[in-house]
Amino acid sequence: MNFLKRISKEFRGLKTIVLSVASFNLISITSLYSSLHQQGQFVGEDFISKQLTWIAISWIVFIIFNFINYRLYYNLSFIIYTFGVVLIGAVYFTGHTAMGAQRWISIGGLTFQPSELSKIAIIIIMARFFSHSPANSFLKDFCLPFSLVGLSAFMIFSQPDLGTAMMVVLIAFCLGLFSKINKKYFILVLAGLLITAPLGWNFLKSYQKKRLTAFINPNVDPLGSGYTIIQSKIAIGSGQIFGKGFLAGTQNQFNFLPERHTDFIFTVIAEEWGFLGSFFLLFLYWLILKKIFDKLKKIRDPFAYYLTLGIGIYFFLHIFINIGMTLGIFPVVGLPLLFVSYGGSHLISSFILLGIFFNISRNYN
Amino acid sequence: MQFNIKGSFYRDKSHEKLTKKIVLICFSILLMVLFSYQIGKGSYYLRRAQNNYIRIIPLYSLRGSIFDRNGIVLAKDQASFNLAVFPYQIKNEKNNLFKKISKDFNIDQEIINKNYKKNLRGFFSPANIVTNINKKEALKLKETYSKDLFINPAPQRRYLRPLDSAHLLGYVKKASSLQKQFKKYGYKPLERIGIYGIEQYYNSYLKGKDGGDLIEVDAKGNVVGFLGRKRAQRGKDLYLTIDSRAQDIARQSLAGKKGSIILLDSNSGEIIVLYSSPSFDPNYFIEGKNLNSIYKNKDSPLINRAIQSSFPIGSLIKPLLALAGLEESKIKPATTFDCKGQFILGKNRFGCWSTHGLQNLYQALAHSCNVYFYNLGLILGPKSISNWLKKFGLNSKTFIDLPYEKKGFVPSPKWKKERFNQSWYAGDTLNLSIGQGYLQATPLAMTLAINSIANGGYLIEPILLKKIGEKEALPVFKKALAINRENINIVKKGLRKVVSQTSGSARILKNLSLEVSGKTGTAQTSQRSHGWFVGFFPYKEPRYTISVFLENGGSSHQAVRTAYIFLNKLKQNNIIK
Repeated sequence: MNFLKRISKEFRGLKTIVLSVASFNLISITSLYSSLHQQGQFVGEDFISKQLTWIAISWIVFIIFNFINYRLYYNLSFIIYTFGVVLIGAVYFTGHTAMGAQRWISIGGLTFQPSELSKIAIIIIMARFFSHSPANSFLKDFCLPFSLVGLSAFMIFSQPDLGTAMMVVLIAFCLGLFSKINKKYFILVLAGLLITAPLGWNFLKSYQKKRLTAFINPNVDPLGSGYTIIQSKIAIGSGQIFGKGFLAGTQNQFNFLPERHTDFIFTVIAEEWGFLGSFFLLFLYWLILKKIFDKLKKIRDPFAYYLTLGIGIYFFLHIFINIGMTLGIFPVVGLPLLFVSYGGSHLISSFILLGIFFNISRNYN
Repeated sequence: MQFNIKGSFYRDKSHEKLTKKIVLICFSILLMVLFSYQIGKGSYYLRRAQNNYIRIIPLYSLRGSIFDRNGIVLAKDQASFNLAVFPYQIKNEKNNLFKKISKDFNIDQEIINKNYKKNLRGFFSPANIVTNINKKEALKLKETYSKDLFINPAPQRRYLRPLDSAHLLGYVKKASSLQKQFKKYGYKPLERIGIYGIEQYYNSYLKGKDGGDLIEVDAKGNVVGFLGRKRAQRGKDLYLTIDSRAQDIARQSLAGKKGSIILLDSNSGEIIVLYSSPSFDPNYFIEGKNLNSIYKNKDSPLINRAIQSSFPIGSLIKPLLALAGLEESKIKPATTFDCKGQFILGKNRFGCWSTHGLQNLYQALAHSCNVYFYNLGLILGPKSISNWLKKFGLNSKTFIDLPYEKKGFVPSPKWKKERFNQSWYAGDTLNLSIGQGYLQATPLAMTLAINSIANGGYLIEPILLKKIGEKEALPVFKKALAINRENINIVKKGLRKVVSQTSGSARILKNLSLEVSGKTGTAQTSQRSHGWFVGFFPYKEPRYTISVFLENGGSSHQAVRTAYIFLNKLKQNNIIK
């Protein structure tokens, strides 16, 4: 009984997060169920059972990571980073291709995307670098960590997976802005990137170029990439205040919306549950993010501090960019919605990060 | 559990507030955009969603045409007209509508129903209900049923010299009519895929890219908005090395026979004629005609006999064996063997078709004397023969640019032991020495083996492609066999005597005055014998290599006759000089 008491004490204040995440599981399954209808008929039994498996695995992973002391990652950070890079390399040789990109590794029927894991690796290794102070050396404190980020991002980019590569850079960059590194370095690099961006255009795959031009003007390619954005906007807008109701989304049911169970799941939710539903979803996300960022003031260990910041940034960017993408604020880059989109890799990654945060949280009650 | 971290940890107190502020601002932006879409313009978007009868009208791409070496069209796309409906529009009145169309225009309602079911892709995609009608008829139907029907033109493949080039060109089929596997590779159901011949081999060049019109219609089916067009891109044109006139002559020469004729450029490997008889009409597959006459024909017209089946080669082995003997210094041109009409090995007699007496190499080739080659075969031994035949490519693919090519077969003592657990007997060697027994080759591989004598010792990868669009095909791969030029000339001289000597087995070809050299072959089978002739001309510097193969043709005489008819007509029509 003592043990249980201790556990419940340690978890105090974290119940909100657990409940919110459980709600997301529920939202995920219901909207997945709805998005897998075609003209009133359910067509995706496999998807639901697969996603339920992933959710179960994720919770187990979450519990395991709860009990792993986070300081271990400090010591193992380079090994974890190297492991991530090697896994991405392994995709080249054993990986399985979907839609023109080689991103998945297959483990017993379930496929896994190792580039998701390297996002975690980047957060851990960045947290280690930034926890050292003082941080005045341009080479040692700025160039070294960010060249590791660059290597990871480049390897993911060549899979090719522009969305995840950009995400890795973005997470590291945002985290860096909160570190003690001189801000002018960031401005320098940003300026450099802006100048060389036109060169980078040549390295993009044709479908990535299409998506970017279609973002700027959806009517360039109304049958292709622009089509998704147009249809997504119609779907979201037509949901109005209260939504069309569960299983009543005409946009998604008549095949107007491609990739609606993965990257565009928010569109399905917004169409069926309207503005109120979307608001509720954002509110749940806000609860989780608030809990995470609130913890910052209690943390005494700089490594744990940056780890927590990194986890918060990771969660926030996935929410903001994915929803922004379905609204046409950001280009369609292929990024799942946190805890909700169909797919196992991002779900497990998010739960691992959540587990790490819980462990930190319990250390600094 | 707490950690004692050395030194003081400077923590920016503003971080906690800053991060939450950023999140709030960003979420507010999202909410503002959501508000403007869902509440501000909500009714507009709802209307658009309700009227979201967005139709994609496909614009089918044209496949590239296929031409012969002189620019004569062999295959091209033509417009065909289909009548289509949108399933969502006719949901409730389907049966009445179909009944009316079937009555007014005398089309079986069964067919309309079947077409509808077959072509149904989705609620908002057009489904063809009447296919392949002429333009006039289509317009008439459209006028009467303007509300429900629309004309859906689609390109259709047409083969203009169907019987001549069926095996070469192959044909196309819609991906939907093929197995599901094609869906996996991203083919659209109505996309046409080459599934035989050049259409298959060069499918990726021939196929274009489909496009489409994206239009918006209201609930009544009126077009209310044009959202965009993606143009269809035409596939690339192919130019073949084939001469369609010669191909036609080959068909006439083989009329009523089973077999193949091949004519190729001895040095470049370009195939000028490759005809397999009997042939079929590939248009049958396109028009959806009854295919029983093709599938149930016991002469298997779908098989390209030149590359898809292998046969025993009979005496055609002799020039190859002669080269082997010369190269391995086992014989000289003047070496003689005495032919007494038979060869006795233990208790068995191995016959010759005549009693030739003392024969040197030239005479043995001209007369196709078996006894000479029995002797040579025994001197060389089975291993060596086997290796030489493999060197000439008889058991490998020629890598012609056609799908489904088969390999021939060259036996060896080792193979016999593994396959039948039997030793190789001297009798097997004798059989092998005259091209009987287990040895088999495809007509094309055999032609290329003899061609290597014509061109001075090169095994060539044959090719059918001359140009893709404006781009010339790459020169073919030539493999030097490293055979002494003198030995080749000796065998060449022997092959010339096959035609030039009055006792030569292909003497009638002398009348053509094309300076043909070559070798005849009669391969015994359990049924009627196969007849062969493979040769090249002009003798001194060969430009063309020709082969005639007659499956169960009786004997080589028939093959030589056919070769005569074929070459004579080519000459009369100035196709060869």
